[in-house]
Amino acid sequence: MSKQAAKQAITLKGSSALVTEFFKYGINTILFQREVYPSDDFHMVKKYGQTVLVTQDLALENYLERVLSQVQKWLLERSVTQLVLAIISKETRTPLERWVFDIKLVEPAEGEAPAAQKPDTEIQSEIRAILKQIVSMVTYLPVIHEPTAFNILAYTSDSADIPAGEWVDTDPLAIEASKSQQVKMRSFSTDVHRIEAMVAYRYEE
Amino acid sequence: MAATPKTPARSRARSDAANNLANTFSNLNLSPTKGSSYKPSPNPFMTATTPKRPPVNDSLQRQAQEGIAKKGGLESRLNVVTIVQPPPSQTTTQAKQIKRSKSSSSVTRSDRFITTRDDPTSTLAQSQRNPSRPASPDHTARLADAAGVNANRRILCYHEQPPAPTTDASLNPAREYARPLLRPASLPTSTGAQTNKSRKIPTQPERILDAPGMVDDFYLNLLSWSKATNTLSVALEGATYIWNADNGNVTQLGSGLEGTYVSSVDFSNDGMFLGVGTGEGDVELWDVETGAKLRTMSGRQGQVATLAWNEHILTSGCGDGSIWHHDVRMPRHKVMELLGHTGEVCGLKWRVDGELLASGGNDNVVNIWDGRVGDVVEGARGAAKWTKRNHTAAVKAIAWCTWNPSLLASGGGTNDATINIWNSTTGARLHTTHTPSQVTSLHWSPHRKELISTHGYPTNSLMIHSYPSMETVAEIRDAHDSRVLFSALSPAGDVVCTGAGDDVLKFWRVWEKEVVSGARKKKEVKESGQGNLMGTGLTGGVKSGSTKTGRMAIR
Repeated sequence: MSKQAAKQAITLKGSSALVTEFFKYGINTILFQREVYPSDDFHMVKKYGQTVLVTQDLALENYLERVLSQVQKWLLERSVTQLVLAIISKETRTPLERWVFDIKLVEPAEGEAPAAQKPDTEIQSEIRAILKQIVSMVTYLPVIHEPTAFNILAYTSDSADIPAGEWVDTDPLAIEASKSQQVKMRSFSTDVHRIEAMVAYRYEE
Repeated sequence: MAATPKTPARSRARSDAANNLANTFSNLNLSPTKGSSYKPSPNPFMTATTPKRPPVNDSLQRQAQEGIAKKGGLESRLNVVTIVQPPPSQTTTQAKQIKRSKSSSSVTRSDRFITTRDDPTSTLAQSQRNPSRPASPDHTARLADAAGVNANRRILCYHEQPPAPTTDASLNPAREYARPLLRPASLPTSTGAQTNKSRKIPTQPERILDAPGMVDDFYLNLLSWSKATNTLSVALEGATYIWNADNGNVTQLGSGLEGTYVSSVDFSNDGMFLGVGTGEGDVELWDVETGAKLRTMSGRQGQVATLAWNEHILTSGCGDGSIWHHDVRMPRHKVMELLGHTGEVCGLKWRVDGELLASGGNDNVVNIWDGRVGDVVEGARGAAKWTKRNHTAAVKAIAWCTWNPSLLASGGGTNDATINIWNSTTGARLHTTHTPSQVTSLHWSPHRKELISTHGYPTNSLMIHSYPSMETVAEIRDAHDSRVLFSALSPAGDVVCTGAGDDVLKFWRVWEKEVVSGARKKKEVKESGQGNLMGTGLTGGVKSGSTKTGRMAIR
């Protein structure tokens, strides 16, 4: 019995790995769907019970790997609160889209028994729903006609341990409030983390 | 304390009045001096003591104190006009009016200079216009709150910019061709292998044999394992070797070829004879027992890349695309010619009952032929029963199902990398599955509903697929250091021998025989304790290294 419980309980470490993995596939999906990188850079991989497109551009792969490994460290320290994938115009550097992932810690209320552990399959189906939603967003997000680049921003707490020289403070690459529209997306949660997704995009009449 | 609410109000009234009164410079110059007397009272204090007071007063007071009105006199008035438009909240205006009446101010409430600077943007604009004065912490907090920014957190990004897309569109066709050679994403396991959860499939070879000089050529077929005698024949360049799986003895057939190479080997069904195809187009017949060459059947122009036996008929596939039936008993050995390929024939398999023959070629075609030779006349030709053109690359991997005679599996080369399952009776394609890399050989398991495929660059893997779901049961990546080209199934159907250009043969026990019950299993293992496992007879001989990693040489 106890063995089974121990097997099912998700730890901070496990949850961080899960969330980081979701970011990897989520970011890849966005980069593919929004055509930030040529579509034939991507190949299909079975993940979460569906095919996900993942880049095979080595440089990009390594870049994401480096970024996400640090994000995972922050997740373990509980010091990252938000991850933003900003799609910006390559020439003017104006932000066009911001894919925002709020990272919230799920903490059981005081004196309350922790909620029943969430089965793995349920988490996976929630992740699957988000990824599917990202894909479906393409239908109503404005078509981007110019070449784009992306940037990953991490919102961390002041006390976060930041590797010197690797991560630098930056501006939020925000889209002016008058010109942006926001769409809230699905969320998923493990027993430790709760990820809420949102996309803001530049929309001008 | 009681005075504080009043005084700013008064000073504001003055300054407002100053604003109002046609902006005379003298008045404007006066207002800061008046206001300066209140400088010692810091802003947080003010707001703390007068919580009801809207931020209006604060900013206005600062204006008065610092003479912002003078600086941005015209601008602020323009602002006033725009901002006043929405009516100020009732309660605040009322409170102000009461105060005004007490101080008997002559200023009328309808004045347009009453700035309702509730919106943080305007205060933000003010503070930006006047950067010399540091904003109070409270103000910053309010600002931050209004702008939706959390002050005590950092926004970070990686110091490098993400890499630019590496290519321009003109390279797309080139990448399309290179794509089959790109290595697929690694398997999520540490061993680089994926196996079934429900049963254990060893991901390491049970035995490795050195086989120096194995030709690294996709189109050849250099490995054959006799079902009857449990011997393995392997061709290394010009020489053919027979390895006895029961005792591990190795014998060489003849003295080897000079000036050419062996391009294919195949055991006859009874294991007594070995057909050997050469690069010069000869088909040789060897007696395995005595090690003597019985005859050479010549007449071919290109290399004989594949051979298949059916009783006394030895069928050969040639580089020119023709398939010949050689009757090994007859002096005029060529009894039939099958013309159905325009490219080199590299895959050839007889169905066990000898009724159908399947062939695959470098022209991406799979043909199924009627196996009846019938009355043989000079120049007899057969016609293909089915011709399948679904593959998009050379078809070398061909396998007949052992437990369902109508099933045929075929696998395509690098650009195809697809396994198709055909029904040879109806000609329908029943299943198709994509694999990460070229399919070099296929075998059906005799006692499981599964088939194994071997693959070339880039994964160099062994894959086991279930049938009919075609799901991957196991995948062993990098089974060899170079592409896995040849394979042969043991007589018991549990061990697969693979050969590759890295000069070794590896034996994989992928289809362990299923045991009925646990008790019986134990007993059986006890009985076969000498290492003669499950009837393969692959003991390798105790002398010649019985450890699993034991390494021996073919020559």
